[in-house]
Amino acid sequence: MNRLILLLLLLLYARFTHAQDKPTSKRKITMTMRDGLRFDPPRFSAQPGEHLEITIENADSTHQTHNFIVTQPGKREKVVQDAMALAEKGLEKSFAPDGEDVIVHSTLLEAEKKTTIELTVPEKPGIYPYVCTFPGHGMVMYGAMYVATEMPAVEQDTNLPPVAKEAAQTGGGKRPFVQRMFVPDAGPAAIAIALPNNQNVIWDAGQCRLRYAWEGEFIDARPYWGGNGSQLAQVPKARWWSAPRDAFPFRIKKSDGHPPQMKFLGYQLENGFPVFSFTLDGVLVSEKIESIEGGLTMRYRFEKCSQSVFFFKSGDGVTWTSSAGEVSEKGILLTAEQSAEFTLTVANIKKN
Amino acid sequence: MNSLLLKTGILLHALGSFTHAQDRAKRMVEHYKIESISPPANIDPQVGALTVLKDGRIAVCFHHGQVEIWDPQKQGWQHFAEGLHEPLGILEEADGSLLVMQRPELTRLRDTDKDGVADVYQNVWDDYGMSGNYHEFAFGPALGPDGRLYMALNLASNGASIRPEIRGEWSPLGMPREDFYKDWGKMVGGAGRMYSRVEWRGWIMALDVKTGVAEPYACGFRSPDGIGFDAKGRLLVADNEGDWRPTSELHVVKKDGFYGHPGSLVWRKGWDQTPALKVPIEKLETMRTAAAIWFPHNVYANSPTQPLVIPKTPAWGPFGGQTIIGEMNVPRVLRLLLEEVDGVSQGACLAFIEHASLKSGIHRLAFSGDTLWIGRTHLSWAGGEGVGKVTPSGKKPFDLLDMRITPKGFRLEFTEPLAADSNDVAKWKVERFTYPYHVTYGTPNVGDMKRSAANPVKIKLSNGNMTAEVQFAEVKPNYVYDFDLKGIQSTSQHPPLNPKVAYTVRRIPK
Repeated sequence: MNRLILLLLLLLYARFTHAQDKPTSKRKITMTMRDGLRFDPPRFSAQPGEHLEITIENADSTHQTHNFIVTQPGKREKVVQDAMALAEKGLEKSFAPDGEDVIVHSTLLEAEKKTTIELTVPEKPGIYPYVCTFPGHGMVMYGAMYVATEMPAVEQDTNLPPVAKEAAQTGGGKRPFVQRMFVPDAGPAAIAIALPNNQNVIWDAGQCRLRYAWEGEFIDARPYWGGNGSQLAQVPKARWWSAPRDAFPFRIKKSDGHPPQMKFLGYQLENGFPVFSFTLDGVLVSEKIESIEGGLTMRYRFEKCSQSVFFFKSGDGVTWTSSAGEVSEKGILLTAEQSAEFTLTVANIKKN
Repeated sequence: MNSLLLKTGILLHALGSFTHAQDRAKRMVEHYKIESISPPANIDPQVGALTVLKDGRIAVCFHHGQVEIWDPQKQGWQHFAEGLHEPLGILEEADGSLLVMQRPELTRLRDTDKDGVADVYQNVWDDYGMSGNYHEFAFGPALGPDGRLYMALNLASNGASIRPEIRGEWSPLGMPREDFYKDWGKMVGGAGRMYSRVEWRGWIMALDVKTGVAEPYACGFRSPDGIGFDAKGRLLVADNEGDWRPTSELHVVKKDGFYGHPGSLVWRKGWDQTPALKVPIEKLETMRTAAAIWFPHNVYANSPTQPLVIPKTPAWGPFGGQTIIGEMNVPRVLRLLLEEVDGVSQGACLAFIEHASLKSGIHRLAFSGDTLWIGRTHLSWAGGEGVGKVTPSGKKPFDLLDMRITPKGFRLEFTEPLAADSNDVAKWKVERFTYPYHVTYGTPNVGDMKRSAANPVKIKLSNGNMTAEVQFAEVKPNYVYDFDLKGIQSTSQHPPLNPKVAYTVRRIPK
């Protein structure tokens, strides 16, 4: 008798599933765990009843262990808390709590490991969170599967962690804008500056001088911010001006003398433009950086400098002009008086 | 049948600890109201630092370098500064300017045109090296009783090499600099797990703000995220489990001390030029001051953060004047019970406030009267994010108040009288274990440590049953005495709200 009922149920189930007419093939997707406790992609869409084959890959270069759990709508935080409550039992259960809140879960994945899980997407439309419940990760490392539900704009999506909503361009397009950051081809105490006219520069606070300039988008600091800090910000490679790596541009008194002793004092913002202060052989110097179409202007003030000042021009494909002083092939010679205030302009020849 | 009984037993046991955890969570929110503050819009809400301003507002440094100020009256955020590089410390000065410790420097932020936004970013101190390695964080400033500012500088990690350009002097002791630029996968072992190759990495620095000159104060640190002074003016520095750190540690720091991680020794005045990795452990043993408190890993704290003194307000009750410390991996704030025996600092750690709604990643703490403000971060390690606040309900919890070592054991003082049968030794569960001093990263988890039962031989209740003298046949120095007080009840029939306490014994009074 029992067997008969079972058979009937099976038959009914078979008819029911047939009637739904769902695709039987599996859609393959990849879910990558990245530095900075992030899932990539941070969200995706799925059809009700769809069969997914999810390849989960731990690409976290900081060597952290993760898991991947899809939860019922609205149950992400509860699942994280339930996983935490597993305490010493957590490891053996892959930090996947029992109960109906968990739809599917992976095992724990060490760095550089891969696994595949299968998921039959629930029939009920909604937003199904996914989360890593490894202790300490759950409040940050999550995303959302949208099942027959419209996705809002990324910035407005409350189902995404803040890190997924960041703009690619640091500062979000604001100009002028100053951001201290690890960037390539400069010392570790570097300052990135976005200027009007789509100009951008790196000023090195460890060396009190400009390092390079480029036109276009500002730096993208997400690689630095999203990881443990070992990644530099991305800076566009097409630079129209670069200073030599080990040559300080100013000399005081003699153009063939030693580079001056320098000390960085900080900067002041004037309408958002940084005015740097530093000392060169004890002389207080300020440098205000602004942009023009295809170039930069630097207004210098040497306070009470009793000696002449020499500036070495540098870079290919650029022109240097000065508001004062004697311009030669090598550089610009300023008298002590002229050094009180002068403006240098460097322009990209290709743009002018 | 036996197996069924066993299974039932395990189930009942698990159920028992589950109900205990549930009961504790329920009691916790009766004593402490835990809330979250919505971070400013479009911001990465990882908090590097926070402080309470004189006007009662809360200045918060976020991961991308912004300083935003929360006004508890207006319930809103005001933008103050931006563009800083990994700010991890903040302090208000007498004139209202803000000192922020960012990766490359200690910076003074001033709003000179009084429009509410900082316009001056002044370099106060940057006289330390940067190899460009990601792990070279800068922590502090903590204002000392002597008026100086104390900063802690992190070592570099062999998780990465150094940058082509560095700031400051390079130490010639150890692996040559050019080797750092070779295939790092092969060179990785040569530098040490954590290394100090530019100035003052692994040091505590004491800065005279007026002269801008910092004194190298003490060394031997690894990743000292937490720096602060306790109510007695002692400098407390928390360091993270890792190489030379068998578990996370709290150090009571004195001038010219060496606190165990040898990386920083290459910068010691008069150092004998031995590379850090070649110093014999016997020599290190004679030089070092051991941790005042071990935080047993996975049980008490995995990454302790900022120490801070609880204010003496009625709401914080008997805990006023004691020190708390944050923890990154679990939603827990701990309390520290420190004492000195023959000039040696030692003491205990125990949970203080712990609840899922507190959330993990508790990195920075600040008090404004009765409110404890919490800033969370993870920086890609375990943790959390956002700003939280905790306010005591005023209902005093039954908890351990203080713990002192005695010649034969410990004196535990509670906030409420113990039930009269608490003098039954069978109710006291104590285990002891120790940690090695070695170059190896950490130690096996505490569950795998060689724990031995340390059963008390006598319990003496006194002071109206508020105090218990717990006596042992012997007390061993350099051991952690790990007390589980779940079996002890107050007259109100609850176990202590935080029933686990670990005391690190260094000296035993005569």
